[in-house]
Amino acid sequence: MKLHRPVLAVGVIGSVSLTLLGMFRPLAPAQPPAELKLATADESRVEYNRVVVPFFTRHCNDCHNQKDSEGDLDLAQLEFDMKSSTSGARWATLVELLAKGEMPPKKRSRPEPESVAAVIRWANAEAKRANKHFTRREAYANGNKVPHDSLFDPKHIPPFAADPQIRRISPEIYAAFLAEMKGKPGLGQPFSPNGRTTFKDMGAPKVDEPVTAQLLQNALAIVESRTAHKLEGDKVVGNMPREFSVLFHPKTPPSEPQIEAAVVHQFNQILRRTPTDAEKSRFVALMKKNIADAGQTVGVRYTLATVLMLPEAIFRMEVGAGTPDAKGRIRLAPREIAFALAFALTDKRPDAALLTAAAAGELDTDAGVAKQVQRLLDDPKMEKTRVLRFFREYFGYDKATETFKESGKVPELNHPGHEPRTLVEDTDRLVQLILEQDKEVLKELLTTPKSFVAYKTAADSKKKIAEAKAKFEADRQRDPVKFKDKVFKPQPKLIYESYGLTDFPDVQPVELPADQRAGILTQPSWLVAHSTTFDNHAIHRGKWIRERLLGGVVPDVPITVDAQLPIAPEKTLRDRMAVTQQAYCWKCHQLMNDLAYPFEQFDHFGRYRTAEIVQDLEATARNVDGKGKPMGPVMKGAPLDISGLIAHVGDKTLEGPIKHPIDYMHKLAGSERVEQVFVRHAFRFWVARNEAPGDAASLQATHQAYRKSGGSMKALITALLTSESFLYRVPAQQPSMSSLPR
Amino acid sequence: MIITRRETLKTLGLSAGATFLHPIVSRLEAQAAGKPITAKRFVFVVESNGVRPEQLAPSGITRKSREQRALNGSAELVDVSLTDRDLPFSLEPIKTWKDKVTIVQGLSGRVCGGGHSNNFGALGAFGAGRGVGGESMAILGETIDGALAKHLGGIFPHLGLGISKRLENNVVYSISAWGPNKALPIMVNPANAYGTLFGSVAEGAASQEFAAKNNILDFLKDDVKTAAARLAGPEREQFGAYLETFETLRDRQSRLNEIKHTLREKGPVVSDKYKSPVETDRLDAQFDLAAAALICGLTNVLTLSSAAGIGDFDITFKGLGLNIDKHSIGHGGTYEGKKWDVLYNMIRRYHFDLIAGLCKKLEAVKEGNGTMLDNTVIVYLSDGAEAHHSRCWEWPMVVIGNLGGKLRSNRYLDYPGYAQKGHRTTANLYLTLLHLAGAPRDTFGTSDPNLKDLDTHGPLTELLA
Repeated sequence: MKLHRPVLAVGVIGSVSLTLLGMFRPLAPAQPPAELKLATADESRVEYNRVVVPFFTRHCNDCHNQKDSEGDLDLAQLEFDMKSSTSGARWATLVELLAKGEMPPKKRSRPEPESVAAVIRWANAEAKRANKHFTRREAYANGNKVPHDSLFDPKHIPPFAADPQIRRISPEIYAAFLAEMKGKPGLGQPFSPNGRTTFKDMGAPKVDEPVTAQLLQNALAIVESRTAHKLEGDKVVGNMPREFSVLFHPKTPPSEPQIEAAVVHQFNQILRRTPTDAEKSRFVALMKKNIADAGQTVGVRYTLATVLMLPEAIFRMEVGAGTPDAKGRIRLAPREIAFALAFALTDKRPDAALLTAAAAGELDTDAGVAKQVQRLLDDPKMEKTRVLRFFREYFGYDKATETFKESGKVPELNHPGHEPRTLVEDTDRLVQLILEQDKEVLKELLTTPKSFVAYKTAADSKKKIAEAKAKFEADRQRDPVKFKDKVFKPQPKLIYESYGLTDFPDVQPVELPADQRAGILTQPSWLVAHSTTFDNHAIHRGKWIRERLLGGVVPDVPITVDAQLPIAPEKTLRDRMAVTQQAYCWKCHQLMNDLAYPFEQFDHFGRYRTAEIVQDLEATARNVDGKGKPMGPVMKGAPLDISGLIAHVGDKTLEGPIKHPIDYMHKLAGSERVEQVFVRHAFRFWVARNEAPGDAASLQATHQAYRKSGGSMKALITALLTSESFLYRVPAQQPSMSSLPR
Repeated sequence: MIITRRETLKTLGLSAGATFLHPIVSRLEAQAAGKPITAKRFVFVVESNGVRPEQLAPSGITRKSREQRALNGSAELVDVSLTDRDLPFSLEPIKTWKDKVTIVQGLSGRVCGGGHSNNFGALGAFGAGRGVGGESMAILGETIDGALAKHLGGIFPHLGLGISKRLENNVVYSISAWGPNKALPIMVNPANAYGTLFGSVAEGAASQEFAAKNNILDFLKDDVKTAAARLAGPEREQFGAYLETFETLRDRQSRLNEIKHTLREKGPVVSDKYKSPVETDRLDAQFDLAAAALICGLTNVLTLSSAAGIGDFDITFKGLGLNIDKHSIGHGGTYEGKKWDVLYNMIRRYHFDLIAGLCKKLEAVKEGNGTMLDNTVIVYLSDGAEAHHSRCWEWPMVVIGNLGGKLRSNRYLDYPGYAQKGHRTTANLYLTLLHLAGAPRDTFGTSDPNLKDLDTHGPLTELLA
């Protein structure tokens, strides 16, 4: 039960200032005035002139006029009529700034609260009349807001700063823990990923009550199954360590040393460490109290379950230990480093070797850390789940399974062979192949014409068809009369059509035509993941490239914008997107549309095409039966326009027109900036926060390591995990007394 | 800045426990003093697999499923009394309370996206429509039960009970949410739900567990507090939040202990059904628990999920003698000569048997000048909207209860087709409930961009007296 006051995010690109919409909180006078209702634009104008115009004149127009237009806002140009204009989004922003007292700026004289309230009241009523909703969208925390050049300028490296971090364990780590505990099935996942960060396991999502309740339920269930036993006379029969079984003896309540031994065992199992003396005595006392209050079985179990609820089992501590060095940095404690390294690459807790290294002081040096990272990376038996996950989340191709494809009524637009899950598996495999080779990883990911094609099932599908054909032939030979007019019609899985093939390839990976495919962004999985039910999603694709390859910022969609393209089946997507070229829309859309149009080379199932299928209106009108009843749409091919433009990047080597998706991919793959933006994203994934200017040294070292190693991902990861951003924290000054917990 | 619950309470001069206890105390006090009752309760019964619009029409009315396009229904609102009409077959079990029934048809929920289940979108009226595709598990905001729970409070501000197709499941997160990305639990194991709700008065293991739970919550509270004291800045905030969860859980235990007398008197009797592998047994048990929880004042907002959500929608109701799962029924399956539409009706009628049972129990408890049923609204719907493969062009619902006349009932309402003048959405029904709960607002969930030419604000005025 918390009242959250969301942070307002303001996006700035070049000279264009773009503000996001905000929730506004009407000021609360003692007696709320009756709700203002505006029936017509004229009524609204009257109130606007009476209340808003004088307010603007007095408090705002000095800065927000035609000449100065601070924040790109000229109030004289801001339409009062939100119904017939697109001004609603800007009004919403304005209202939020007014309500929070952020405008007028602090240095100016404060307006009367009543006059602010009156302006907000009018804006609210007008928004209602216009049917616009001033509700807030949660701000998307975008790391790209730190200017690229400030991070990669070797001449200016700001001092390092990083707060101590406490992260909640991720859903994946918890799932791996449950698997390790071999708990009974049906234990619930208490954690959900953070929804508004570039990567899911970033930031510090809070634990709330349903989460704790679920954790507790799971803890009890785990302990119950791990201490399951039967009593045969006085004998405890069950598959559990002796430390536990003695606690359940029906006649003899456990002695203190026995309880202590069980607590030590549980600590080692769950927390991978021995309890301190203080912890031992507290837990012994708890178990004794529990046995007294709740009986032996329940008392023992609940106490053992408590270990699973300790903060250490729920949170990942990365706060550092010891005294600050000359730069004010504190290095993470060896145990913290061991856990951080294990969770950087896998979802499992550190292995014995890592804990031994921590205990032996080997993680006190960067070289020692690097040695462990390399050991983990080179260990073929250790599954590096987090590495593939980085590429999945970075490219987002795994979202192909979440894109709902409806089979419409027009056969030309259908693809019966569409199997999103298989497409994702294929791209996963391609990423793994490139990682196995570990050379120029990003370039390969952006340009390779290689592809897997249903690699898990292709051979089997081919075999089945061959067998069916053999059977058909045999049957025909046996009974030529019956089979005289029959032809063999296999029911193939048509998924290879997604890749432009006519059959499954014999060798995997297959080289697709190099003038048709280049890398992940031309894989059907990525194209489908960035598509809608019936169309390509040029806007999402453009946004992806702008943010994840070019390092730009695209503001969130203002909520008053109806993010819908006109329904016009006779037009190409590009034609329908013309609506986004209105001045107000174009401010954002110029950052996306032109980056995405080259992908119009593919349809929304990811198939290479040479024309876009649209409805032929005239032919459709003529397509009627004898009684004049329409017989459905008639389609035709419209010429493709795949030209695009790279602009607004601030890197002349990249900017310029694009003619073809393949050239485009090679151009991006050859750019140093793109490589650096990739490094920024890897930083976010592995350091689990957005990069700040103080991380410039870590980022540059990581990029250099990648470059010097000829584009090795292992080198990149090793550099990141040995960087100061990963291993050090700069604690804040002493906490003030008032901020200590009760 | 974040204002914590604690700080809010401090400003009100209340301890954390006081707010939880407040609703019952006021009810008991009011009852003792003969004052009018202000209690309001909302119950959502959500059944998977869609409710076919044609199956909710009362006698004398023929209703077909609407076409999947804009302007798909009549241009006029249909508003007829149920007085001289018979309820449709599946609703017959509640005919005793026909004067309290409103059948609501024609509301759309296109933003939810559709599919086998709309998951959290069903009660949340949010989603990104077809752009994101159907069956989204996204939790974009609070659902209506969460919103009402926040407003009405209670020992358990929200109580989710239900069944899962998997016997081993204990808690599922499927249809209810407190806020964005914050799912509310649906307890699907009746035995464990009983322990949580009535453990303080249970015998044997459940009672021992209640005591042990108190001990370890106290222990962990202290432990987290000590750990937090060693930290500074934002990282302590994380621990603070964790600590607060223990305090909430512990407070709740104390409140349950304080109302032991009521719980002992009015709690349900545990039967074999609580652990039964038969789905209908478990749902019966959950309806028993639900009635008891309402009557004991444990909650004011209750969600009963009959295997709602994408993870469970294809459940099989073996207890009704049907060895065919709902997915197959949805695809036109036949069982022992009964066609899909008959099967749909049979299963829904079973649910209305349970709803009737709940009504009967609530009606038996006096409250003010009437009964508890007079202060309760039950809403029945499907997370699968109007069909097995929902597209949410319409979303049939049944509302039972009239809140002592504040909610107009005894009617069959059918709203104009999608995008017709006067067309309304599920959000408008939820806004009606918020209005009745005394928390009126203009919008709920995601507004449908394709309805921008209509007024989509506010409650369904046709339902308000």
